[in-house]
Amino acid sequence: MTALALPGRLRAPGLLLMLAVMLGGFAFATRDFTTPGNLLNILLQSSVLLLIALPMTFVILTEGLDLSIGAVLSLCSVALAQTALATGSFMAALSVALLVGGLIGALNGGLVAYLRIPPFVATLGTLGVAQSLALIVTGGQSVTGLPDSVLFVYGGSVLGVRVPILLMIAAYALMHTLLYRTRFGSYVFALGGNREALTLAGVPWRRILVMVYVLAGAWAGLAGLLMAGRLNSGHPTAGIGMEFDAIAAVALGGTSFERGNGWLMGTLLGVLTIGILRNGLNLLAVSSALQVCCIGLLVILTFTLEAFRTQTP
Amino acid sequence: MSAATKTPALAAASLAPPKLELRGICKSFPGVRALNDVSFSIWPGETHMLLGENGAGKSTLMKILCGAVSADSGEILYENRPTTIASPADARRLGIAVIFQEFSLVPHLDIAHNIFLGRAPRGRLPGAIDRARLYADTRRVLDMIGFDIDPRESVHRLGVAQQQMVEIAKALSQKARILVMDEPTASLSDRESERLFAMMARLKADGVAIVYISHRMAEVFALGDRITVLRDGKRVRSLMPHEATPDELVRLMVGRTVDMTYPRRFRAPGATMLEVRGLSAASGVAGVDLTVREGEIVGLCGLVGSGRTEVARAIFGADKVTSGEVRVFGRVHPGAPDGSTRLGMALIPESRKSEGLALIRTVGDNILLASLPSLFPSGLLRVGAGRDVALQIVKRLGIVATSLQQQVGMLSGGNQQKVVIGKWLAAKARLFIFDEPTRGIDIGAKAQIFAVIDELVAAGAGVLMISSEQAEIVHVCDRAYVMRGKRIVGELGRAELSEENIVRLGMHQ
Repeated sequence: MTALALPGRLRAPGLLLMLAVMLGGFAFATRDFTTPGNLLNILLQSSVLLLIALPMTFVILTEGLDLSIGAVLSLCSVALAQTALATGSFMAALSVALLVGGLIGALNGGLVAYLRIPPFVATLGTLGVAQSLALIVTGGQSVTGLPDSVLFVYGGSVLGVRVPILLMIAAYALMHTLLYRTRFGSYVFALGGNREALTLAGVPWRRILVMVYVLAGAWAGLAGLLMAGRLNSGHPTAGIGMEFDAIAAVALGGTSFERGNGWLMGTLLGVLTIGILRNGLNLLAVSSALQVCCIGLLVILTFTLEAFRTQTP
Repeated sequence: MSAATKTPALAAASLAPPKLELRGICKSFPGVRALNDVSFSIWPGETHMLLGENGAGKSTLMKILCGAVSADSGEILYENRPTTIASPADARRLGIAVIFQEFSLVPHLDIAHNIFLGRAPRGRLPGAIDRARLYADTRRVLDMIGFDIDPRESVHRLGVAQQQMVEIAKALSQKARILVMDEPTASLSDRESERLFAMMARLKADGVAIVYISHRMAEVFALGDRITVLRDGKRVRSLMPHEATPDELVRLMVGRTVDMTYPRRFRAPGATMLEVRGLSAASGVAGVDLTVREGEIVGLCGLVGSGRTEVARAIFGADKVTSGEVRVFGRVHPGAPDGSTRLGMALIPESRKSEGLALIRTVGDNILLASLPSLFPSGLLRVGAGRDVALQIVKRLGIVATSLQQQVGMLSGGNQQKVVIGKWLAAKARLFIFDEPTRGIDIGAKAQIFAVIDELVAAGAGVLMISSEQAEIVHVCDRAYVMRGKRIVGELGRAELSEENIVRLGMHQ
């Protein structure tokens, strides 16, 4: 649709420029950046972020926001770990994670769609609830001793390809199809672009809006599984700050916070940009505290470039 | 009721039952009787022109037809059978499609997805869209109206005229049997309009009933098979085009019913306060010349969308000015709102709630909002001094509030408007631009607002007043400028100032 119909018009030249500069800079400044092992690492390290940044794009397209997604990820990962330990069943653990994420998403969506609480406020509230629950059920400790099936999700390979890479491809394909090939996807654009149009078309837009937040929560559940596999444990604070990376990735990708103007491929690029930045800074031995600052500056810089491009005719 | 009031000519022409008949429709909104006992019939294959001034009830009628609002009382008959239109879905089931002036399009979806929003053909998988059919169907609808454009084009890239065509295509795709259009040619070029008319002719031949709202006399007579004139929420008359001349239609629209006597002390104007020469702005207004002198109330009138608010915003410096000059008290305006404030000019916008007032703040806070820098140049507030100034304003304007601490949101519309005026009085403004100062205010409060405005000019202020109510302009203003199509098309002095003249100048001939 929109995104695919624009081969001639580059959607996010600012982001592509930043990406090129960073790739060149890190390749020049570090010895290991361009090795195949490191490039694979960048992808692996980006996998969790992609799983939550994709649904975050949907939420932002509706002129919404989900601040709770990092905390929900933490909560899902510990719920999953505890269920896995208690039952030994991978499917039971995964179901619990999806269920917990979906329920908090439903709460977010209900607050936003039916009680008309601003998304920022509603999801800030559930952020606190989810984070607190994650700490309470674990007593603040990591849940370790996970079965191999959970570890396989991050560490395993199928036909020589690491599972997170397969998950990323599947997630992107699924979400792209959902956004650009289904009625639900059209409604997501319309929720941000013109809700009146949905009312006049007889579409129950509140229900659709709730579904968008449920989707975000459920994906946070899946991301919690990937995170648990990566950390070899369910960690109650593993997702702290992930909402920052996710929103930054969506913004970097050129999705606007108004009028349902967005681009899913841009979010993929945004996720990779953040992955590359973090990886390169790691190689340069920059502390993780300073990395967050760099991501923030990157967002501001990219938007400044865009502002200059669009405001000077 | 409907049968009794139908003119003989209409009764004779209507052997077949009407497609849709409204009987005795009433609708009130808080403080306004939008529709009062309106009856109205639409026959298949006919174009029914709907005429009326701003606020005559046309848009409410449209909203009832499309199911966006429900009538308080009255009957709706579809092919002689009673029916209800309680939701947009009901309207769609009856084959009613409405094209509003404010489009119901989603900017970042493509044309095809917009046209079939909520009705996209189903694909094989649940929830999926059959894209091949979607684009083929869209192509067919676009071809029907001769609109040559890629259905994959995103709507936000289209111009207003093209978006209008998409809206029409959307209505057609719903197999509409009753098509309601609100000034569809307002944003179309002559060629595009011709194409629209040709398409309407085809639809009529096909038996579609069309309700067409227009302010262009030429269209009313060229397209209309039947004309209904609304005024103040009532149907004045339904007639055939050959039964009236344009002048008679104007008289019907304006009427003589409104009884308004606002005391006004007219006096000789003083020095020129505001002088606008050749003003054009990015918002589309072009070549505007106007002056406001001391002690004058100058009206700025014209139909909704004729560019009145845009002129006010350009003068105030809120919109980008592309050419021309604004002089305030002889000094060239710097072209920014804060410059206006410093020169003693105040703009009192139409939407008090969004632009003029901080509703959750107190009366006192709001009154002092614009004068804090002049009252307290050091930046430190002196509560006592502020209260004195605010109290003085409250007394002078007769603002009814329990105290300075009352929230402005709790006041009546008229008192809120006074608080806005008070804010600028406190800031020592002498040149006021009012944009629809009496919208949403009851009759009694209107008289008070005009008394305040009269007092302002008596004390040497100058006022430029935008109003959609011609009667107000006629009663209150010393002079008035009439706008049409983003330009000033005439100036009426006190002697020539009448509703007929305003309507005649403001309508497209």
